[in-house]
Amino acid sequence: MIKTDVIIIGGGATGTGVARDLALRGIDHCLIEKKDLAAGATGACHGLLHSGGRYAVEDRESAVECIQENAILRRIGSKCVEQTEGLFVRLPGDTEEYRDLFLEGCHEAGIETELLNSSQALELVPNLNPNTTEAVKVPDASIDPFRLCMLNVESSKNSGGRVFTHHEVVDIVTHKGRCAGVRARDEFTSEIEEIQGKVIVNATGAWGDQIATMAGQEVQMSLSKGSLIIANHRLANMVLNRLRPAANGDIIVPNETVSLAGTTSIRVDNPENLCVEDSEISEIRSEAARMLPDFDGVRLVRSYTGVRPLLKAKDPSGGDRAITRGFRVVDHKNGLFSILGGKLTTYRLMAEKLTDAVMDHFGISVPCTTAELPLEGQEALSGYPISKRLRELEDMMCECELVPSSKVRQVIEEAGTRNISDIQHRTRLGMGPCQGGFCTYRALGLMQETGRMNPEEALDALRSFLQRRYKGTRSLLWGNQLREEQLVEGIYLSLLGMAEHEV
Amino acid sequence: MKFDVAVIGSGMSGLMASIYLAERGVSTAVVSRGNPICSISSGCIDIAGSGPDTLKAIDSFPGEHPYHKVGKEALLESIEYFQELMSKHGLEYDGDSRKNRSILTPIGKRRVTSLVPFTMKAAETADGDAFHIISFKDIKDFFPSYLTGRFPDAQVSVFDAGTHTTVGIATKMDNDDFLVSFVNWIREQEIARDKIAIPAILGITKTREIHDRLERDTGRTFFEIPTLPPSIPGLRLYRSLRKIAEGKGVSFFSSAEISDFGKERKKILGLTIKKPGRPDYVDAEAFILATGSFVSGGLFSDRNKFSETVFDIPVHSPAGEELFNEDFFKLGHPIEKSGIRVNDRFIPEDSEFENLFAAGSILAHSETMKYGCGHGMAISTGVAAAKHAEEYIR
Ligand SMILES: Cc1cc2nc3c(=O)[nH]c(=O)nc-3n(C[C@H](O)[C@H](O)[C@H](O)COP(=O)(O)OP(=O)(O)OC[C@H]3O[C@@H](n4cnc5c(N)ncnc54)[C@H](O)[C@@H]3O)c2cc1C
Ligand SMILES: Cc1cc2nc3c(=O)[nH]c(=O)nc-3n(C[C@H](O)[C@H](O)[C@H](O)COP(=O)(O)OP(=O)(O)OC[C@H]3O[C@@H](n4cnc5c(N)ncnc54)[C@H](O)[C@@H]3O)c2cc1C
Repeated sequence: MIKTDVIIIGGGATGTGVARDLALRGIDHCLIEKKDLAAGATGACHGLLHSGGRYAVEDRESAVECIQENAILRRIGSKCVEQTEGLFVRLPGDTEEYRDLFLEGCHEAGIETELLNSSQALELVPNLNPNTTEAVKVPDASIDPFRLCMLNVESSKNSGGRVFTHHEVVDIVTHKGRCAGVRARDEFTSEIEEIQGKVIVNATGAWGDQIATMAGQEVQMSLSKGSLIIANHRLANMVLNRLRPAANGDIIVPNETVSLAGTTSIRVDNPENLCVEDSEISEIRSEAARMLPDFDGVRLVRSYTGVRPLLKAKDPSGGDRAITRGFRVVDHKNGLFSILGGKLTTYRLMAEKLTDAVMDHFGISVPCTTAELPLEGQEALSGYPISKRLRELEDMMCECELVPSSKVRQVIEEAGTRNISDIQHRTRLGMGPCQGGFCTYRALGLMQETGRMNPEEALDALRSFLQRRYKGTRSLLWGNQLREEQLVEGIYLSLLGMAEHEV
Repeated sequence: MKFDVAVIGSGMSGLMASIYLAERGVSTAVVSRGNPICSISSGCIDIAGSGPDTLKAIDSFPGEHPYHKVGKEALLESIEYFQELMSKHGLEYDGDSRKNRSILTPIGKRRVTSLVPFTMKAAETADGDAFHIISFKDIKDFFPSYLTGRFPDAQVSVFDAGTHTTVGIATKMDNDDFLVSFVNWIREQEIARDKIAIPAILGITKTREIHDRLERDTGRTFFEIPTLPPSIPGLRLYRSLRKIAEGKGVSFFSSAEISDFGKERKKILGLTIKKPGRPDYVDAEAFILATGSFVSGGLFSDRNKFSETVFDIPVHSPAGEELFNEDFFKLGHPIEKSGIRVNDRFIPEDSEFENLFAAGSILAHSETMKYGCGHGMAISTGVAAAKHAEEYIR
């Protein structure tokens, strides 16, 4: 049986952030995630490293946290943050009053702004709606949440921390009313692993109440589903927001070769089995096209949805968009600590506050250093500018994202991975326009050649990848995306012979 | 320019229609925007179903399926015609169109088809039919492990061709010196089996020569395994058909964007092809629409509205159904029923024109993947539409 000091449940930004913090403070720990790192809200998010502008008017406290964390992450995570900067775009119909409130709010929160007239804005983003009235420039950035989690875990592993992915906590073991450990089920073998720990950290975001319940506790949260669509091009080089109170479809974030537009906000009771509605897609697309008309004709390659774990509103009348994006650390006084609310941008601060509470509990005082030290392991991931990738074109395993076979081989060999999403997150393999239609077969082939998988596992992985991929594109099948889909079906179902025949 | 018949689309159906017409002295043009599906296909000719008997499978196809308009007799004749053409050209197709067989895919599964190019003739059939595998160092689209998992007895030898793509290796094979060094290398390998499986890279233009030489100089039987697009056997099929058509005097307008067409009452008069400077005009007595399904751009879907991309004739679409299955692996999304409905003369039913014929995967209810009828359906409807077009202009 494994024994440790702190058991962290949840491998999103928050959980991995706590792991890094504990590692740097020398506390023995172990992280348990039921699927993959970043499989929850973290991987389903927009990837916007907020400047805080979005919250400057309605939620000043979050705005302050955002701008401070924004600066820290740019510094410590330069290889997973792309410093795109952002615009808040005012279109005809968006009021001057809101602009003034916005500028004032930003000023008070310490967010640097620059007011641009229409032609200055169009100079920065030439395909912006030509009717743009004006725009405010803010220090928004684009962040890769998968890399972020991986880098956090890197520090944890370097200090001897253990990480169990594909292990679901099914039970919390208590002893004399206090938490003493967890029981976790291996997704593949169904075997139950028991892990003993002095403290349990509940960093499961939207699943927080399920874990609290296992320990006889309760946490109050509001779950808000949000959906996003991905376009097959990088349509603009800056983050674009609408200069008006937060609404559906008013943010576009560039992410390497693609653009993400979103989101929506729909109250749900359960974080599992969610799907993207057609109406959400239409609304996001038409709203995005108002800022960036190119969004209208562009091919959408994927849609997905995630659940925001929000703090319960004190005054429920404002709707979910009005709920604070702030967070709270709860000491359940039985060895369980929960961390609730927050957002990706503030994950480090959340982890710091939670770790402070755990250190208090242990009566140890070691200061937090996560804001000063750069994320470990960035060298291995980065140094990969497009120009260098282009030179290796002959050897490209993924032509859309320009990932060469040598890179994939390196990841397989160094990280010892047996899992296709690991490769995707480290290299962006399969994240571009064809969404892995060609390269997944290749990556799994390489995985077999290097002895990481046997053919049965590879075929299973291929099947489940294709099923997941299809789920992500099924509601976007028209125009060129339909052509791509027929091609991919021709390849896998017909050429490779994976179809289930009836006739 | 003026022709008797203008065929739009250079896929299996358009090319076969144009060859049929040109052989009968009909002046024919082929106008197409891009490369067809056959150029990226396995190069094998699927005719019908996944059981042993193709004609039996057709009996079970729904009444609207285009095969029922072609008729079995005419289907068999047109496939025989295709086989004759290809043999004369030096790319023999092996098989009996009444029967199915299976070939090995690169992931070790079996794919049902009917006719195969001679390079796949020896493809293993029964389990236990032992073979050796030759692969290439760092080749991008072929991973022997997928196969050795299923055929644990198969040994693998790996040749360093100095390039990683199938097109790159196939191009090198067409070079004599390279071929000689490859043959010499094979002779140095320890190969216990009589049969050798190899990814499909046996040259693009000199395949017959390469294949025969390998078998002669090594004393083994070779069979190719078709790989992912760009697929060499598909490329050979397309290039051969085009060569045959050109040889018979068909004029090609390629990379052609049709921007407009002229009509007078019930007749289409000609096509306008966009070009830098002055456009090309292709006039004809009759037109054959062979522009393929969504994947090729013959049909276009704007969410729930479907259109035909050249003449904007009405597209039949399945009513009141979900367009896509929930399961990726279940064949036959309802959307694949959509397309152009034709009468017994292959004239689009819902259009106003009397000199327009349609063929190939653009036809409604063809559902080529579900019914395993890809190239076979394209060949037979191409020839059928050509016959009716010829009748019309005479
Ligand atoms: C559509 C959308 C867009 C967003 N965009 C942004 C943005 O642009 N910028 C930003 O800053 N924030 C954004 N957010 C908010 C942000 O994504 C979340 O606040 C943040 O990612 C939460 O991280 P987390 O680690 O707390 O939760 P999660 O990432 O959800 O992690 C919880 C993890 O716990 C695991 N888990 C659950 N139950 C168990 C169990 N029993 N055993 C083991 N593991 C378990 C889950 O699998 C999951 O991986 C967005 C949210 C959504 C939904
Ligand atoms: C990936 C894949 C693999 C396949 N593999 C096989 C296989 O191995 N064996 C098999 O039997 N079947 C296979 N099929 C099915 C089979 O290829 C097709 O059903 C059949 O070949 C279609 O031929 P077609 O003549 O209808 O036209 P297509 O091959 O679809 O060609 C249409 C032509 O029309 C042109 N065109 C389209 N729109 C316009 C326009 N507006 N203006 C001008 N030109 C236009 C295109 O550029 C193209 O040249 C496969 C299908 C797919 C998707």
